[in-house]
Amino acid sequence: MKLLLLEDDEETANYLAKALRGEGHVVDIAQTGPDAIFLGASNKYDVLVLDRMVPAVDGLAVLRGLRAAGVQAPALFLTALGEISDRVEGLNAGGDDYLVKPFAASELVARIAALGRRRPVVETSGFITIGDLDIDLLKRAVTRAGRRIDLQQQEFKLLEYMARHVGQVVTRTMLLEHVWDFHFDPGTNLITSHISRLRGKIDRDFDVELIRTVRGVGYRLDAPV
Amino acid sequence: MHPSRPFSSGAFRFAFLLASCFALGSMGLLLTVNHLIEQYITEELTDGVETETDILKGEQSELGQAELVHAIERHARAVRDTSFRYLLLDGKRQALTGSLPVSSGVSGWHRITVTAHDEQGDHSVSLLAKGTSLSNGWLLVVAGDLQDSRELAWQLRRFTALAGILISLLALIGGLGVGSLFLRRLDETNRSIHRIIHGHFSERLPRFGLSPEFDDLTDNLNRMLERIEVLMEGLRQVSTDVAHDLRTPLTRLRHRLEAIRYDASPEEIEARVEGCVDQIDDIIRIFASLLRIATLENGKARANFETVDLSGLLGRLGAAFTPAIEDGGRRLTVSIAPNVEVQGDRDLIAQAVTNLLENAARHTPMGSEVKLDLLGPDHGHTTRIVIEDNGPGIPQEDRAKVFRRFFRGERSRTTPGSGLGLALVSAIVQLHEGAIELEDAAPGLRVIVSLP
Repeated sequence: MKLLLLEDDEETANYLAKALRGEGHVVDIAQTGPDAIFLGASNKYDVLVLDRMVPAVDGLAVLRGLRAAGVQAPALFLTALGEISDRVEGLNAGGDDYLVKPFAASELVARIAALGRRRPVVETSGFITIGDLDIDLLKRAVTRAGRRIDLQQQEFKLLEYMARHVGQVVTRTMLLEHVWDFHFDPGTNLITSHISRLRGKIDRDFDVELIRTVRGVGYRLDAPV
Repeated sequence: MHPSRPFSSGAFRFAFLLASCFALGSMGLLLTVNHLIEQYITEELTDGVETETDILKGEQSELGQAELVHAIERHARAVRDTSFRYLLLDGKRQALTGSLPVSSGVSGWHRITVTAHDEQGDHSVSLLAKGTSLSNGWLLVVAGDLQDSRELAWQLRRFTALAGILISLLALIGGLGVGSLFLRRLDETNRSIHRIIHGHFSERLPRFGLSPEFDDLTDNLNRMLERIEVLMEGLRQVSTDVAHDLRTPLTRLRHRLEAIRYDASPEEIEARVEGCVDQIDDIIRIFASLLRIATLENGKARANFETVDLSGLLGRLGAAFTPAIEDGGRRLTVSIAPNVEVQGDRDLIAQAVTNLLENAARHTPMGSEVKLDLLGPDHGHTTRIVIEDNGPGIPQEDRAKVFRRFFRGERSRTTPGSGLGLALVSAIVQLHEGAIELEDAAPGLRVIVSLP
């Protein structure tokens, strides 16, 4: 994908750009708000990555400027630590996601992938099929190879989120935010416990594992090749 | 600090002002008295002269003009000890009788000065005279002496002035007394403040004792000092703790980085680097928690308050944690009262409950029971979140300390944790203007968070 990265700190910008280019993205770096607006309005980007605090201008203002210029690309804010109201402000200003500094590059990569245009298409019929796994979103029913699998509400939501991002890495914080609506760091391995229960029901009795662990990053639900 | 200088001091100014007020008042009184006396004397004299003139005129019309001369002489003799003097002039302005000089033979009211003789020798006397033309063309002058009444006026004036001076002096002395008492107290207070500035932070201001208002002020200032001392102590404590508690993970990190030099295989190096990153993440988490506590303690976070569906939030938290706590070998029982709402910050409340659940799961032996209860507001109680375990509990002497940053109980030395969890909980509860209590659940610990 083609990405715009607004980040005034050169070292951070280069480090993030390197990680993103490593994933095959094309990254343009802007170090000031006006540059970002100029680049954003004159190129077509798939995802905008905006630092909230660049000198003399707030990332929010940059996004408003771009939205006013008709730029529709999803935006991800990078926000400073310890500002509790950041997220709400960012989302209100038209941001689609936010990430609190400091964060792992792998986290940013995963979130950009989730925001990007090559998102897996969810069947409009309300069914998602991944290999021999069938998910009925309306009835909240799951079958694998025709066998019914009983899931608790949380397990279903977890599976649904991963299925909507099939083939993409989802990180622990993404799961916490989207499945449980927790926007803080619970610190424990509560995701691990939920995943292991889900695996017990989805994967245990089958030859092919659908849920993969991506070490140090998160999990991925993969359609078997 | 300067010693109080008497003439530039507030006390002296105060006293001087007070005395000036009294002096001005006395002056006013004196002027008024003076004016009244003048008026009175003049009126008295005028009346006297008028009456005397009328009497003499009456005698003239009754007895004829020849008799008038005798009458005047008779009167003059009779009123020796009073102060009337007479003059009778005929048509040719020749004096017929009377002791007044001819020059005073003017009709109408006028003042004259004559020379009088007595034991003290000659002195001039001021007289108020009235000249009246009689029917036969004669002129009768009757004059009254102002002297006696002047004497009286002088006495009165002297008395008033003396009284004024005395009162002003008393005011000056009183003012100085009160003022210097006040200033002495103020000096003591200033000296105290000075000592406090120079590092005796536990010193408190002396009571003023002059009036309840001053004592209230002193008490309030002392309360402020108390608070500041606590805050400063906290600050000192935190800086020391931060420096101390970050040394350990940083040292460990350094060792790990050093050790990479001796690792041969890429897998080993990979594992080491991962370990280092984890270590750094821990350090960053400590800083994040510290920052968060600091942000919460300055109270600005109240801006994000909204109505929180506490029943829903705790239900989700309970459900989210149940598997993790079970995997850790403990059991979580959740009991939630329905439809409980509070004003607050959803994420912060969730963070606080999470920390308490984590503590319950972390500091209890395998097989322990953890309970999460939400009790709605009912008779005499506000909304309460109760987290209870049947583990070893917290010893009585540690209960007040556990909310301090970096506090680790003896028993938890071996368990992981930064010692910031409960400090953060406490800051969150304070932000919500709630209360947190630790109770003995016999066995175990019961934490009760009350939210208004």
